[in-house]
Amino acid sequence: MALNKEVYKEFEDVVGEENICNDPAIMPAYFSTEFAAVILPGNTAEVQAIVKLCNKHKMQFRPICTGWTGMFPPGIILLDLRRMNRIIEINEKNMYAVVEPYVISSQLQAELMKRGLNFCIKGAGTNCTAMLRGHGHMDQTTSGDDRNHLAIEWITPEGDIVRSGSLGSSDEWFCGDGPGPSLRSILTSAVPPGVTPGVFTKAAVKLYHWSGPSAYPVEGISPHYSLSEIPPNMMARYFSFPSVEKMWQAELKIGESEICFELMGFNISMVAANITTSNEEEEETFNRLNKEVQGPGFFVIVVGDTPADFEYKQRVLEKIVSENDGKSLKAVEDPRIEGILMCQCTRISASIRETFRNGGAFNSIPIMGQRDLTIKWAIGAGKAKEPLIEKGYIVDDGGAFFGWGVEQGHLGKTEIFCKFDPGNPEAKAAVEGWQKEQNRRAFTERYFASTMGPQDEIGPALLNYHLWWQKITEALDPNGVSPSGGSLV
Amino acid sequence: MALEDYRGDMEMCCRCSTCKFIPMQKVKGAQYVNVCPSIAKYNFHAYSAGGRLNIAAAMLKDGFKYTDKLLDIVYNCQLCGACGVSCNYAMDMEVLQPISEFRLRCVEDGKTNPALDKVIAGLQKQGTMVPGAKGKRGDWATGLKLKDATKEKVDVLYHVGCLTSYDKNMQKLAKATVKILQKAGVNFGIAGNAETCCGGRAYQMGYKEDFLNQAKKNMDMIKKAGIKTLVTGCADGYQAFKVLYDKYNLKGDLEVLHISEYIDKLIKDGKLKLNKKVNLNVTYHDPCRLGRLGEPWIHWEGKKVPGDRFVFDPPKEYRRGTKGVYEPPRDVLKSIPGVKLTEMTRIKEYAWCCGAGGGVNESNPGFARWTARERIEEAGSTGAEAIVTACPWCEKNFSETIKENGSNLKVYDIVELVEKAI
Repeated sequence: MALNKEVYKEFEDVVGEENICNDPAIMPAYFSTEFAAVILPGNTAEVQAIVKLCNKHKMQFRPICTGWTGMFPPGIILLDLRRMNRIIEINEKNMYAVVEPYVISSQLQAELMKRGLNFCIKGAGTNCTAMLRGHGHMDQTTSGDDRNHLAIEWITPEGDIVRSGSLGSSDEWFCGDGPGPSLRSILTSAVPPGVTPGVFTKAAVKLYHWSGPSAYPVEGISPHYSLSEIPPNMMARYFSFPSVEKMWQAELKIGESEICFELMGFNISMVAANITTSNEEEEETFNRLNKEVQGPGFFVIVVGDTPADFEYKQRVLEKIVSENDGKSLKAVEDPRIEGILMCQCTRISASIRETFRNGGAFNSIPIMGQRDLTIKWAIGAGKAKEPLIEKGYIVDDGGAFFGWGVEQGHLGKTEIFCKFDPGNPEAKAAVEGWQKEQNRRAFTERYFASTMGPQDEIGPALLNYHLWWQKITEALDPNGVSPSGGSLV
Repeated sequence: MALEDYRGDMEMCCRCSTCKFIPMQKVKGAQYVNVCPSIAKYNFHAYSAGGRLNIAAAMLKDGFKYTDKLLDIVYNCQLCGACGVSCNYAMDMEVLQPISEFRLRCVEDGKTNPALDKVIAGLQKQGTMVPGAKGKRGDWATGLKLKDATKEKVDVLYHVGCLTSYDKNMQKLAKATVKILQKAGVNFGIAGNAETCCGGRAYQMGYKEDFLNQAKKNMDMIKKAGIKTLVTGCADGYQAFKVLYDKYNLKGDLEVLHISEYIDKLIKDGKLKLNKKVNLNVTYHDPCRLGRLGEPWIHWEGKKVPGDRFVFDPPKEYRRGTKGVYEPPRDVLKSIPGVKLTEMTRIKEYAWCCGAGGGVNESNPGFARWTARERIEEAGSTGAEAIVTACPWCEKNFSETIKENGSNLKVYDIVELVEKAI
């Protein structure tokens, strides 16, 4: 739906002519969608004014941060939040940071590391927003997803400003649940089947203790960065195990003993992707390392608070690995590889190598839950990848899955994906079929209910939550201006 | 290769936004994280490399639909190549080449920028990228009794470049270079009035034919004079002779060196001594076309291997901006007694552009100055008294921006400091 001149002018009056555009030339840059206009609000007041105008004119809108992914109906207003890029506060005492949507994780993390702090960064990478809803490499220590949400400033679909948690009763951001409105069940930013309607304009995220360096001593020239030295009291290793069961037992013990800052269950294909600088090198490295590992495995980063603490953690790790017949991958013991993996897996700067470099696209099934259960499902999902590999539709990663501990193994994430060339329609269709089938299998075989699975089947089994969510969104958005879909990545 | 040849690369763009920022490992805080001036200034995703690739891919698919906004996007880009460096940390795909090809296509289709048309008209008429240039190209050398490399046998041709030759404020660079080469006892010459524009900036602006005309003129003269080694004081000239001429198979076996490389060699060979103390705290600005875009051209032809991976037969080696000229200018600065070098946050392959390239200096001077302001601020944050560069276009843009906005920062070309030290 094209904007008429009068309506366009109303939006333009809010943000200024340089921050609104409806020229068709810019649209292919944004998700191949014909938006009515793209608008760049600069602050909360502008977002609120735009949302109110959308209600006035019954126009749908969606916000994006850095906007890696998303699905967007044509004809809507796109709010590109790029100008809202301020770190509002880093509160060291109460261990939270308040950010606007376009602060990227790398910026916030670099500031935090100087202060001996860190935070949960999405596996998508530090090139993505620091705000809300992330799970990834450091979850073992920093937890993930909405468990890191504190107070949030939210523009509702009707254009009201809601300040959740402690912000609802004071100017403090320290708590997401009060004193003040909690709204935690609504403000998760990724409630299935869509995301929270409206726009988050500021959010406080939880911070965690970091005993690593204030900055990594990176040297060399891209793409061959390395560390000039391994920072004191730090170590990175990859261990493979003779069986999934042994790996899982080791993972559990490591979580219980709280000795690893990071436990990332990379498969060997992902290790190869991370440590290489081209597709050709990656393929050769995968084939070589695949012969060296004895089975599934994981990557760990140990960070000691003191030399004594580091020594203790190393000894416990050695014992756990030994008891479960684990074997250290020699390649990662090389300080050049160890160093850059350590850096990349805390600064989350190589996820793109793991996902997009091979073919340009990947489809994934990520699951939060009990690792032992989700691993069992993932083994089957991996087997189901084999025919696609044989047909050359997807990259050969040995049919592997991956996963990682969350909150020292209290929870866990399991994920499996297929990398493919999106220009090959047969490959794309095969991957989508695999994804659908494995989501369905997860539900019918009672492993878990995927948010990406068939909602009309899953919903009734889970107290019809999808219908309740629909009712909530209808109440919040009576004019239907905030459609589901989209992403805060 | 034409724009169509980069279709696969453009379709590889996953819209991850890394092209907007310096490589993540190098981010040191909330400040100085941007790497692309265009998206940093204009904010719409269309102004980023990812946006440009997605637009170009869509136009290849659906046809070219030119609008004023599209041309605004196309020409408000310095083509500095920083986007590609950040992207290529992780991805195997061409980034700058399709963006550059898209601009060439615009010019081919007659969708030019009027300000750039004027510059090119000047090039066609006078053989220089300095519009309204007065006098003759070799006037700056009057009285210096330099060898005419087109007539006399020399070991090195010093290609002075348009701005240094014609701009009265920049001629000091040519004179400093002459003094340095003479002090080192180099048998060098200039082409004087026979010198002509390298064509590099015309290429950046999208005027491929004018670039090729200039390249052919230069190489004819060089071959006729029997020149084996060319030294240029300008980063644009360096990239043109070394990379672009090679890309179009015009370079032959000509050795191309930037003056900073050559001075570095003279110092290391013991032919040039820097004895005088120059007490100055400096920071060094890597010119885009000496650094990441100065990386040698890699000739490659191949086909995508059918299947799941974006790989080619024969394998494609990507130019990732890693093999530009980074250490020689730094080594020269470190050789000057009294000079203390402090690095900025964004350096070497991911240096922030000065703003003057890609025709932006001519088509949108406000954007060029905006870009320079950001660099000047970053330089100031190091505590340096001066920003040192190795390109007259950078020096001019920095100096004019400082004059407009006020700053105590001094601006030098590297040859000016070397001249002080000999």
